[in-house]
Amino acid sequence: MTRWPLTYFPTLAIALVAVLPVGVLLMLASDNPQGFDARNLAVLGNTLLLMVFTAVGATFVGVALALLTTYVQLPWRRVWLILLAAPLAMPSYIGAFTFYAAFGPGGEIDNLLGLPTPAVGGLAGATVVMTLYTYPFVLLTTRASLSSLDANLVHAARTLGMSLVASLWRVVLPRVANGIAAGALLAALYALSDFGTPAIMGLDTFTRVIYVEYNAFGLSQAAMLSLQLLVIVGLVLFLESRVRGSRERPGRHLFLWPGRWQTALLLVATSPVFLLSILLPLSVFSLWLWREGMGDFELAYAWNSTYASLLAALVAVLLALPVAHAAIRGKAGRVMERVTYLGFGVPGIVMGTALVYVGLQLPFLYQTLGLLVLGYVLRFLPLAVGSIRATSENLDASLVNAARALGASPREAFQRITLPLTLRGIVAGAALVFLEAMRELPATLLLGPTDFETLATYLWRVYEAGYFGQAAVPGLLLVLISGLGLVLMFSGERWTLSKAKAPNPVADA
Amino acid sequence: MALVGAMGVFPRAVPRSPAQSAVPQTAAISVDRLPQLKGELTLYLGRGEGGLYENVLKAIQKRNPDFELHIRRGPTAALANSIVAETRAGLRRADLFWAVDSGAVGLVTGTGAAQTLPAELTQQLRPEFQFPDWVPISGRIRTLPYNTKRLTADQLPSSILALADSGLSIGWAPAYAAFQSFVTAMRLLEGDQVTIDWLRAVKRRAKNYAGELGVVMAVERGEVDVGLANHYYTLRLKSGKPEANVDLAFTRNDAGCLVNVSGILALRAGELPVNFIRYLLTREVQSYLATEAFEVPLVEGIPPPQGLPPLDTVSPPTLDLTRLADLRPTLDLMRKAGVL
Repeated sequence: MTRWPLTYFPTLAIALVAVLPVGVLLMLASDNPQGFDARNLAVLGNTLLLMVFTAVGATFVGVALALLTTYVQLPWRRVWLILLAAPLAMPSYIGAFTFYAAFGPGGEIDNLLGLPTPAVGGLAGATVVMTLYTYPFVLLTTRASLSSLDANLVHAARTLGMSLVASLWRVVLPRVANGIAAGALLAALYALSDFGTPAIMGLDTFTRVIYVEYNAFGLSQAAMLSLQLLVIVGLVLFLESRVRGSRERPGRHLFLWPGRWQTALLLVATSPVFLLSILLPLSVFSLWLWREGMGDFELAYAWNSTYASLLAALVAVLLALPVAHAAIRGKAGRVMERVTYLGFGVPGIVMGTALVYVGLQLPFLYQTLGLLVLGYVLRFLPLAVGSIRATSENLDASLVNAARALGASPREAFQRITLPLTLRGIVAGAALVFLEAMRELPATLLLGPTDFETLATYLWRVYEAGYFGQAAVPGLLLVLISGLGLVLMFSGERWTLSKAKAPNPVADA
Repeated sequence: MALVGAMGVFPRAVPRSPAQSAVPQTAAISVDRLPQLKGELTLYLGRGEGGLYENVLKAIQKRNPDFELHIRRGPTAALANSIVAETRAGLRRADLFWAVDSGAVGLVTGTGAAQTLPAELTQQLRPEFQFPDWVPISGRIRTLPYNTKRLTADQLPSSILALADSGLSIGWAPAYAAFQSFVTAMRLLEGDQVTIDWLRAVKRRAKNYAGELGVVMAVERGEVDVGLANHYYTLRLKSGKPEANVDLAFTRNDAGCLVNVSGILALRAGELPVNFIRYLLTREVQSYLATEAFEVPLVEGIPPPQGLPPLDTVSPPTLDLTRLADLRPTLDLMRKAGVL
């Protein structure tokens, strides 16, 4: 029997903790066993369609924008990158609600500009909204993989007569399939577990059935249905794990220099995404703010959000490192890694309640910031694991072997080879967890300290009360702070890039 | 915000008409006669109606400088589930639970976690709203909002069961909690068979809406003749748009005019939680909820919101409201009828 890689042990512990809420669901569901209801089949169909369309839409938009922001030397590249990743900062139910309010006869666009627009709703509407708020998953994971590719292959293809588009399609994309799949997986899981968007768009999905049960005090049925949803999640996880990119050593970065009109064309083609996902909701909110006034917002809420989300990002990344490493090392590690994904596919409120049960077993932690951070980490660990794994997979194992052969200890090899080369994935993973924690709602409501008001809980409160104008300032701040987070992280990238070059001589040796 | 801004205490109960002001205010107590609150309480607040509960809580805190109120907000069902989990684990964090839905109250009182309240407190309420371990705060009546351009009140049936055969087009919101409570009441009063037949019959004439505000708006626009909704949606719509083509009708002595309530219960023993509840039953708070939120005051002597007949003239069915927590069979029934 081969010895287990060292990272298997922490990974096993993390997987066990991650599976705890699922265990709680099993316990809750056992109160009232009720098999799969045939009446739910139509609903299941809607759910799967929404999931597939969202994954396809997010991949299409996300990959295109990843190529654009990674390779094309646009003016204000970083600004564009931040704007394009910003939809992650917006809770999708807020986005869906503003779409609903803005479009259609009698909508705000109709009222203000007199432009008749079609109403946004149903499967098509839910797909559009869901795509707009999940494509950054694909953008960030794909980008992380793209940046560690060697441009020499593209140059070779071009020298041999392949056009740029063809070489991107046939040489670049197949090699970042892992990164794309990791992002598409997150988008699919998000679509499976989100409740707000389909509810506002009037689409009957699995989560709606779960919510009807939950709100009717049928916690055991809600848990049972969530477990059934987890079967789909498991299937998606399996499919994603079949996707294999190539492994190769990183090399020279690809740069594309567009002409002036090409730049203009690219920006014009890109702008609708930003206009719809960020500018539209913020404009609608500003309109309501102007109509209704600001209310009793306090800046402390923004600090609470930021603080808790930063902690969550930090802890998630620390835990994700061994998990991602274990996933690459062997089959058992791969299985354990998959287990940590389960929590991401369960509707937030059911997961939040399951975490209440977990938290109650740790009375000293219950309703403290510590438990909230743990809750965030359990829910969003896959975000960090996915992007770290995507970059680590492209890491050439011979680099580490070479370092070891040259006398470096495993720790030194990790510090000087593995870590710098995966830093990009780590940064992207931390960014994803930070943004997702900023907009998370149900766990924040149920697990945080009492009186712990965050931007998301305040948004929910005024939204529920129908004071939409009061959502403007927190909504704006949410996007702004998340944007700042992105600025910090993307500017860390430059440092990463220069650091990452250091080990290359080892590879060449 | 007027409540807090005006005086940091409570607005005076402004009688809407001379006739109503003549009602003797026997049971309702003024905040001026209540003891000062001292100490700390943690309240789990199931999402408040239009933020107006928040204003009440702010006013109470402002009036009692030595009192600190910690609030955990969340969806009512989620907080009820948390309290049940905390009780099971023997870890009580909430001192009070204010729920917008009596079903959630029933879930918690069913576990035996709620404290018995002093009789002189519960006796401030109308007899049909007196319970040993929780206190209803404000009521909402099931109504039939109808389009005044298409119908007059006398064209509407006075029995909810007869509505199914009335030939009118109907708007309803089956996924909405208030509607499900109403179906539960019908199930408890009339039995499963009658209820499922009624659901199937109405379904043929019904149009679905996501919520009951949507139902009332659809009635007003004339998309349907009549709707099934809590009373306050109509009153709130009419307060913003007095010429709206919608008015309220009531059935008699059946689930169609059920009075459901929001309610509060104490999870911690002692004077402080009880005294806190006293504030919610004062003339000032009850009048405020009636005039601003259009909720039905449940304490004797407070006039109902404008546009609603006095509670005595409505004939709601006799039903223990905590039994409305028994939603499971209702959902099964609604699924069977194909309406959910």
